[in-house]
Amino acid sequence: MKFRLIFVFLLCGLVLAHSPEPPAKAKTYKVAWSVYVGWMPWDYAGHSGILKKWADKYGINIELVRMDYIPSVEAYVAGQVDACVMTNMECLDMPAASGIDSTALIVGDYSNGNDAILTRDNIDIKGLKGKQISLVELSVSHYLLSRCLTMNGLKEKDVNLINTSDADIAPIFLSNSSQKVVVTWNPMVMQVEQAPGINKIFTSADIPGEVLDLMVVNTKTLQADPALGKALTGAWFEVLALISKRGPETDKALEFMASSAGCSAVEFKNQLKTTAMFWTPQAALDFTTSEEIRTKMEFVRQFCFDKGLLGEGSDSADIFGVSYPGGEVQGNKNKVRMRFDASFVKMAAEGSL
Amino acid sequence: MSSDFILEFHDVYKSYDDLSGTKLVLNDIDLQVRKGEFITLLGPSGCGKSTMLRLILGSEKPSKGTVMIDGLPAEGPSRDRGIVYQKYSLFPHLTVLDNVIFGLDLEQFSQFSRYLQPAKYRRERKKHQERGAAMLERMGLGHALYKYPHQLSGGMRQRVAIAQAMIMEPKILLMDEPFGALDDNSRTDMQLFILEQWERTHMTVFFVTHDLVEALFLGSRLLVLSQYYTTAKDHNEGSKIVTDREVPGGFPKPTSFKNSPHLKELLNEVRRSGLDPEFARHITEFDLSHRDAMRTVTPEEWGNGQKEQ
Amino acid sequence: MGFFNLLAKPGPKMSWGLGLCLFLLALIAYVAVAESRHRENPDDKVVPTFAKMVDGFYSVAFEKDRNEEYRLWVDTWASFKRVGIAALFLIFAVLLGLHMGLFPYWESLFLKFMLFFDKVPALALLPILFIAFGLGETSKIALITIGVFPTITLDTYLRAKNIAGEQIMKGLTLGATHAEIAYRIVLPQILPDVLDTIRLNFKAMILFLIAAEAVSSDVGLGYRIFLVRRYLAMDIIIPYVIWISLLAFLADAGLRWFIQKKFRWRMQGAG
Repeated sequence: MKFRLIFVFLLCGLVLAHSPEPPAKAKTYKVAWSVYVGWMPWDYAGHSGILKKWADKYGINIELVRMDYIPSVEAYVAGQVDACVMTNMECLDMPAASGIDSTALIVGDYSNGNDAILTRDNIDIKGLKGKQISLVELSVSHYLLSRCLTMNGLKEKDVNLINTSDADIAPIFLSNSSQKVVVTWNPMVMQVEQAPGINKIFTSADIPGEVLDLMVVNTKTLQADPALGKALTGAWFEVLALISKRGPETDKALEFMASSAGCSAVEFKNQLKTTAMFWTPQAALDFTTSEEIRTKMEFVRQFCFDKGLLGEGSDSADIFGVSYPGGEVQGNKNKVRMRFDASFVKMAAEGSL
Repeated sequence: MSSDFILEFHDVYKSYDDLSGTKLVLNDIDLQVRKGEFITLLGPSGCGKSTMLRLILGSEKPSKGTVMIDGLPAEGPSRDRGIVYQKYSLFPHLTVLDNVIFGLDLEQFSQFSRYLQPAKYRRERKKHQERGAAMLERMGLGHALYKYPHQLSGGMRQRVAIAQAMIMEPKILLMDEPFGALDDNSRTDMQLFILEQWERTHMTVFFVTHDLVEALFLGSRLLVLSQYYTTAKDHNEGSKIVTDREVPGGFPKPTSFKNSPHLKELLNEVRRSGLDPEFARHITEFDLSHRDAMRTVTPEEWGNGQKEQ
Repeated sequence: MGFFNLLAKPGPKMSWGLGLCLFLLALIAYVAVAESRHRENPDDKVVPTFAKMVDGFYSVAFEKDRNEEYRLWVDTWASFKRVGIAALFLIFAVLLGLHMGLFPYWESLFLKFMLFFDKVPALALLPILFIAFGLGETSKIALITIGVFPTITLDTYLRAKNIAGEQIMKGLTLGATHAEIAYRIVLPQILPDVLDTIRLNFKAMILFLIAAEAVSSDVGLGYRIFLVRRYLAMDIIIPYVIWISLLAFLADAGLRWFIQKKFRWRMQGAG
């Protein structure tokens, strides 16, 4: 008898857990973001009400969720959020490789020095050979190192990689003078380079336009309801316009973003300097529709394939396709999983949002 | 100063500090025990029997006075005094045989030397094993050499514990209510057993019990330690030896002693000596009839020799 | 119904059946979720199908990777060494606890510190360990050791302290020195219980191992899990997790067997 009662309770619990939420008037979309200088404008967009203004305009709700970087992408792949900020590299090796068709709605910036290889004891690029290198393996840092080695005629086998978590990489490197080489991104680059005797020997400024910071939206969701794309694009460029101005309002915005990112306003501005933001819709549009983006993406695609990030079973980088605004596709045309879409940015450039 | 006595108490006081202050447990104990005596110590609960035993064992020191073993002050526990407890006498992780020869092994080899001289160790150990096995055989435990304590009955365990203590040939064998946890049948068996052992070795035994019949049946000499007595003082604290006498009926006694009419009388007498709070004797009336009995008394306690009304 | 019967005696078949019940249920639930996700998206990596996990496991266990290594075995050996060395350090934890439980001066010196140390969340110390011991093996072994050392010490301490005083007196009357009492009477008696405690702390040790390997490493089971997470290779992560659980389970069973075999005297009713 008791047993049956428990069973009934369990069933009730299951039913309740699965019953659909009451239909809301406006659809709510969840957008995940993580702390990085090029993505902080999203935080300000949410904080200042700019995002809500644009969402209201298109009759939807947008909820921003702050997460750690990798978990945010995992949540996106698992379908827990509809859109997420990420780099072009993670977009390839996490959602695209997992069969999630994703659209790069906005190319916000490319890293122009935010990622760097730093060394002690005046070790130069040739001197990397045989060294132990701390980095987050299979991240953009790894890509940066790999490009640096290839460009200088070295191989990855020439160095020893130590996978080190981004949370601890700076203090560990700074406190162990036996560690000679570290590859990381901002704000850790800033922390590390401030210590005496440390040199930046290679940065993302040496490979401009390869490490792209994107706002990625699930293609299915976007096609079903373009309002999400319009609201996000509109809000983004309004915030960027505000930041690129001068004046007390801009200072307030920068200060908010800095404190949210956990650094000072000066440090934040310094990081902005090493971030090539596409300040205007036109700039973003020009880059997204350029020939250049395709050649740069090719490097990243090959890197992901070389490292087995597209799936251990894949026999070439062409296992799925990447499409561009002009209709060109790299890789498998029948299995496009990553789309650079300029249509929303174009609307913003034309002022038709 | 050489001594005829194997165990002596001289003006021994023992007190403990607790939250309410200092509590006196033993009040001016004097005692002289000869080699080969079988002492049984009786007393109401809380009288300090176990304290007295610990003083002999050396695990505690008297607050005042001295306890002497074979003419020398008793130091911490050592191998010249063996002990058998009611429980926990045996090492649960050793077999019966290993329990018994544990002391012999230790005597020959220190912690590490056994590993330095493995051949010698094996040889000596073999000898010990033979000796232990022979002893256990004699005690009727030949079938249990390789059993662990938990596989034995309570009575068997106490036999092994006695063997374990006796093999060291201590000057005094202390027994702290050793048969208290046994049922009546095994207890009688064990009483006979310990008397047999005494007859064989004539060792000195100091046997604490709260069982009157056991004390009278086993002992050659009976001690009663009690906190129930009166003196000329208004207030008395701490136990004294209120009885120190030979046990009539010879020693060792035949089993028939337990059924003899004489026993009842004796029981009543001993009970009235201070085992019962209702029968507190005055210090002048203590039964200290044993030939070695002695005591020191303060004038305040003694008064003018009259029982106060 | 037997479920609320204190005296119920399920037969051997019933026992086994019930024992497997929840495993089966978990399996079915997993397969159902994996199937439904794969119907929607055949490339789903979040909940891989069994076939994919078998492939994933096969490739890490029996195929050479890009570095000409069999990853699973290389990782397992590296992690095993770390846990193994840390476990050896626990010998000192046991000895310290033994001495604290028996010798009052040791107790005075160490007890308060150990009680406090035991409460320190070792994982929060992790960055400090890496700073103090560098990125090599030392810091990882240190974390695992520090994580369980105080627990083992305090457990041993309590058990040594609980040994009946009669046993110690008995030892002295048989002519044992104080050291002999510690090592020949007390230690062998508490050892099986202490080993049991160590057994129950396997889980904590593995947790600390994985945490240490996640922060900084170039080989190891935890390292691999956190590395392949960068590209959502759940088809490798899940088999790795099952593999770790299985190893821990086997180690636990092995030690349990050893205790039962080696300490035959430790049956109920001992004393």
